[in-house]
Amino acid sequence: MAAVTTIAPRSVSATGSVRNRRIADMTATVVLWVMASSIIVMLAAFIIYMVYLGWSALTPSFIFGVPQETTAGGGIGPEIYNSFYILILTLVFTVPIAVAAGIYLQEYSQPGRFRGVVQFSAESLATIPSVVMGLFGLLVFVYLFKWHFTALGGALTLTLLNLPALMRVTQEALSSVPDTLREASMGMGGTKWQTITRVVLPSAIGRMTTGVVLIAGRIFGETAALIFTAGLSVPYNNPYSLSPWRPAETLAVHLWYSHSESIVPDVARIGNGSALVLLIMVLLFNLSARIVGRQLTKRFTGRAE
Amino acid sequence: MIAVQARRSHRTERIAVIGLRLAAGFVIIAMAALLLYLAWEGTKTFYVDKFPLWKFLFTTSFDPDNKQVGAGVFIVGTITVTLFAILVGGPFGIAVGVFLSEIAPRRMTQVLKPAIEVMVGIPSVVYGWLGLTLLVPLIRTRTSSPSGFGLAAAGIVLAIMILPTVITLSEDAFRSLPGSLKEGSLALGATRFQTIVRVLLPSASSGLAVALILGIARAIGETLAIQMVIGNATQLPLGIFSPTAALTTEIVTDMPGATEGTLLEHALFSMAFLLLLIAMLLIVFVRLALRKRT
Repeated sequence: MAAVTTIAPRSVSATGSVRNRRIADMTATVVLWVMASSIIVMLAAFIIYMVYLGWSALTPSFIFGVPQETTAGGGIGPEIYNSFYILILTLVFTVPIAVAAGIYLQEYSQPGRFRGVVQFSAESLATIPSVVMGLFGLLVFVYLFKWHFTALGGALTLTLLNLPALMRVTQEALSSVPDTLREASMGMGGTKWQTITRVVLPSAIGRMTTGVVLIAGRIFGETAALIFTAGLSVPYNNPYSLSPWRPAETLAVHLWYSHSESIVPDVARIGNGSALVLLIMVLLFNLSARIVGRQLTKRFTGRAE
Repeated sequence: MIAVQARRSHRTERIAVIGLRLAAGFVIIAMAALLLYLAWEGTKTFYVDKFPLWKFLFTTSFDPDNKQVGAGVFIVGTITVTLFAILVGGPFGIAVGVFLSEIAPRRMTQVLKPAIEVMVGIPSVVYGWLGLTLLVPLIRTRTSSPSGFGLAAAGIVLAIMILPTVITLSEDAFRSLPGSLKEGSLALGATRFQTIVRVLLPSASSGLAVALILGIARAIGETLAIQMVIGNATQLPLGIFSPTAALTTEIVTDMPGATEGTLLEHALFSMAFLLLLIAMLLIVFVRLALRKRT
């Protein structure tokens, strides 16, 4: 009884009059609209500001030229090349392992200790700061294997860093495929593996590709994990080397390096130009992720996403 | 004929399962190797150089040339800058998460979602560069801070960087609530705002806790963006504009010049190991929060 009498007046007074409640509700709605819109405004302002800063730096000699150690006028050609080189190498390692592990977790594994440990490991890997992953790469590939700074070491480090994200993308894409498709395939006598490769994967391929391209955008801009594994330089006698056994400074690393370590006089120009190129690449990755994903879904399943 | 085919597909099936299991096992091996190797390397400060653990954690004198590697400054730096980021970015992110799940019309969602995805994609160094060219001069000219570098600049950059994580996860938390909760509250005459504050927020609390914890994890691990604006001074943050350093920024600042096997190098690996332990602890917290929900 006592409890009822103490609760009742409080809840009445907190509810207030209908008019006050309406005003509070309207105010809250307006505030939330303003907050959400501010994110879009802020992002647009960032993009405009960076285009304004970096536009004049984007000359052909900057985009395709080689970097300079001490004098002004250095370009970022080899850095752009290295960013793509390491990106492709990383995807070659990451995609098969992550997709296979994702299929295992989503389609095969039963709840149990093995699955629990895999999931805990993946979650931990996903939370590890990229600079810590970089130091692990330094220990394994530079100190232990004595490779020195190499594109391969960088790519393998990024593989560890991006495995969990790609596994999750795979799992989510697979879980979006309705069970009726699986049942239909099994009902016609297909084995589980046949069902997965011929029915489930084609239905999930659009979503998976979207995820892969978005993650590719992140790999392209990764920095902290590469400083200690792929190094801070490009081979000057052969800046466009195809070999994975050479130092490979990427564009994002170059932006950090030229700001904090290098002694060239035109740091601002290099920074503004590199930042703009990185931003354009991010926008391109995001755009193509949507387009490619939609196209693939349409082709493999005949339906629009 | 059919029997042969069936046997063959049965064999394919077995091989496939083995391959998939190996891939999943690789994740365990990678994590175990990382943990063991960093533990091995990260404790050398204590068992090779004989520097006491309590001094590493609680003293602030970092001078490897004179055998002092107290990481107190960097630990305090990481804690303060993370607190700053989560106090600013956390509520903001949850508010936008509510907006996306409860208020935003389709049109708005179609603009806001891709914008958030672009924010995730923007590289850490680009955020750092923006902070360096936009935020630091602003703080320098508008406040009493002489350089503009410091805690505030780093905290603001971080708050922006953790927004996508917090927004996306808190939106998921609200969306996963049963619709009957909201309908019940509205049917009792509550306004939408009352429903959000008194029904949805408490019901989604464990999901929101996960959003905040993973936001904190992101903030603690962020490196280059804040390294470019925090000032990299080995001093405790005495005010909101004070230049300082964090665990991650110290690693990146001093590692390129550290020689293998020195006390400085060992101390930096100890910091990396500490970051790894914090990351794993946060994952345990996430699991506890999720267990409460079910």
